[in-house]
Amino acid sequence: MASRQTYDEAAVIERLHHQGTAREAFGEVIAHYSSTLYWQIRRMVIDHDDANDVLQNTFLKAWTSIDNFRGDAKLSTWLYKIAINESITFINKKKVQNNISLDDDDSFLVNTLESDRWFDGDEIQVKLQRAIASLPEKQRLVFNMRYYDEMKYEDMSQILGTSTGALKASYHHAVKKIESFFDEQD
Amino acid sequence: MSQTDVMKQEKSEILDRIGKDSGFKTPEGYFDEFNSRMTAMLPDVEITKVDEKPSLWVTVRPYLYMAAMFAGVWCMMKVFTGFKQNISTEQRVSEIATGIYMDNNADEFIMSGGASDYDIMTYEDSVMMDTEIEP
Repeated sequence: MASRQTYDEAAVIERLHHQGTAREAFGEVIAHYSSTLYWQIRRMVIDHDDANDVLQNTFLKAWTSIDNFRGDAKLSTWLYKIAINESITFINKKKVQNNISLDDDDSFLVNTLESDRWFDGDEIQVKLQRAIASLPEKQRLVFNMRYYDEMKYEDMSQILGTSTGALKASYHHAVKKIESFFDEQD
Repeated sequence: MSQTDVMKQEKSEILDRIGKDSGFKTPEGYFDEFNSRMTAMLPDVEITKVDEKPSLWVTVRPYLYMAAMFAGVWCMMKVFTGFKQNISTEQRVSEIATGIYMDNNADEFIMSGGASDYDIMTYEDSVMMDTEIEP
């Protein structure tokens, strides 16, 4: 997770619950979490402009429902959940717009990756993104959180509401599928 | 198992070869610009004050309600069983009294024509049954 020396989560949460200080405190939340959440979203929606829109919706949703955050869970967990839901909603909307079945995988998102000016990966990186996008949604999320963010299974479990055992299995299956994807293509 | 051990177990030759750089980039100064823009676009919301810690009464209240409910159920059962016992005692006294009255006055009642044939047969059967049961 991103960190700033001046960021004190307990104090920020306290200020979030008071009318006079909430807006300023939420500004600190944005500054603290925008990068982390952006990368999580970007790996899901692939395109930078789309990730920017989803990130914006994530913070707007969090802000307008800040009363619902009672501090029972970690703020990061709550924000991650919103970001994931917003990403999935966005992808489903995009599938509908492109006449793609909601049951299909998200490979279509990678089709424009090579022409994306905010992507400078080589062929093998495009291939990896294609392999990741072909995974079922939950495996894709687990793979991204584990492989790129190196998130602990315990934290992931809080966000995704799945047992750590199931998450480990999910990650294992995801890696195997990616390896098979590469074997088939070679 | 430590975090490092788990990571070692999860190693993949292909993924190691590719590395963790996804190739995704952002425009220069994107996050600073985003943070300012996002903060500025937040709409006005009304914050409801949240009590950080519930009072003792709020914490204890559900348990008290539950205890009162059980006490109420217990009292009702107690009253109901006591009432039933009283009723059955009164009923028994009444039944005994009726039995004695019937035994003493049955013949007179039958003779006066106040009972139907069926009543008389039933009465005689019961008298016979009583006689058989008696040692």
